[in-house]
Amino acid sequence: MSSHAGPIDHHHDHTTSTGIPNKKLVMWAFLASDCMFFGCLIATHMIYRLYPPPGAPDPMDIYSIELTSFSTFILLMSSLMMALAVNAIQKNNLKSMRLSLLTTVFFGAIFLGCQVYEFQHFVHEKHLTLTNSLFGSTFYTLTGTHGTHVAIGVFWLILMYVRSFQPAAGIKDRGWFWRGLLHIASVIGVVMFSMFAVIGLTHTLQAGEGFGAFLSHDFGLLIGLAVTTALSFYLARPRGPVAFGEANAIDVESMGLYWHFVDIVWIVIFTAVYLLEYL
Amino acid sequence: MSHSPATADHGDEENKFQIYIKIAMLLAVITGIEIVFIFLPFPIWLIVTVLVVLSTVKFMYVIFYFMHLRWDKPFCTILFFIGLVIAGGTTWALLLLFGAKDSMPLTAISSLANYFVG
Repeated sequence: MSSHAGPIDHHHDHTTSTGIPNKKLVMWAFLASDCMFFGCLIATHMIYRLYPPPGAPDPMDIYSIELTSFSTFILLMSSLMMALAVNAIQKNNLKSMRLSLLTTVFFGAIFLGCQVYEFQHFVHEKHLTLTNSLFGSTFYTLTGTHGTHVAIGVFWLILMYVRSFQPAAGIKDRGWFWRGLLHIASVIGVVMFSMFAVIGLTHTLQAGEGFGAFLSHDFGLLIGLAVTTALSFYLARPRGPVAFGEANAIDVESMGLYWHFVDIVWIVIFTAVYLLEYL
Repeated sequence: MSHSPATADHGDEENKFQIYIKIAMLLAVITGIEIVFIFLPFPIWLIVTVLVVLSTVKFMYVIFYFMHLRWDKPFCTILFFIGLVIAGGTTWALLLLFGAKDSMPLTAISSLANYFVG
């Protein structure tokens, strides 16, 4: 984008012949092509579901509507946080944008975790693999492609978050990139330690043991949680002026378009692949 | 006191936060309705119609508000809808082609015959 003396118009760019920022235009063109890609995958799955071959697995015995509904809700909330991140950087509110991006990463990681759990459950418990049935082939190809899109989106979000710490020109700070990656790793550590601690506490209480037994079994988890939490807060503190600002809103918005697209594809998959099977 | 377009735009930007929160809540409620609706004892054609309409509503809310199409130049909407219409048309055509009676696989015909004979 060109340099601006006044307030930045985030929806129009008068320096391009279309009046649309080029980064936004190329993202919309890509998303239009990705529509066709997912349209073909969804059509393929539905065609083979029209007349399932003899002995085909029954999706009603395989799907878990509770897990899928939870994943859908999580992805919707991640879309909300992404929209808030774009809104924040358009107002030059860097702190709010970072928090929203981190929350989006958090929700995206939960969605991916649910999908990994679902695939693992389908393969080992329901014996549905990529190659042992037509349903498995089209289902895993479609939902796996969508999951890959989500994974790429999470990776992009992480890079954008780290980039937001890049020091302003003239400031010597060579370690900002690795510090940013360490920050992300510590945040993921907080998530992992929290999840394992909750699971450990639940198992201990289910076994009829008290909180003391949980502490003796899983004290290491609590130590890990405390260390990663402290590290996350330490690395999140501002270290001086950064190069990232309102002028970079178009970068965050382009990334947001991709993330929302992943969400709308899931809206279609949720209805066409999951809900329709329950009729 | 009259408001200039710039002031109106600024007010619009200020309200976006509330708009996003309301839309997210609406989308969550619609998703809940969809999940409940598939278990209700209505005719299948009605349930499918309602699911398609509700999904379309969710889809449109996300692209026009979260993806800012409402505030962007119409060319972005046209560009995206070109891909969307081609994708939707291809899906529709394939489903009609493969859903036709003459496209029914022999295994499905024998399964149906066994079903009716049995």
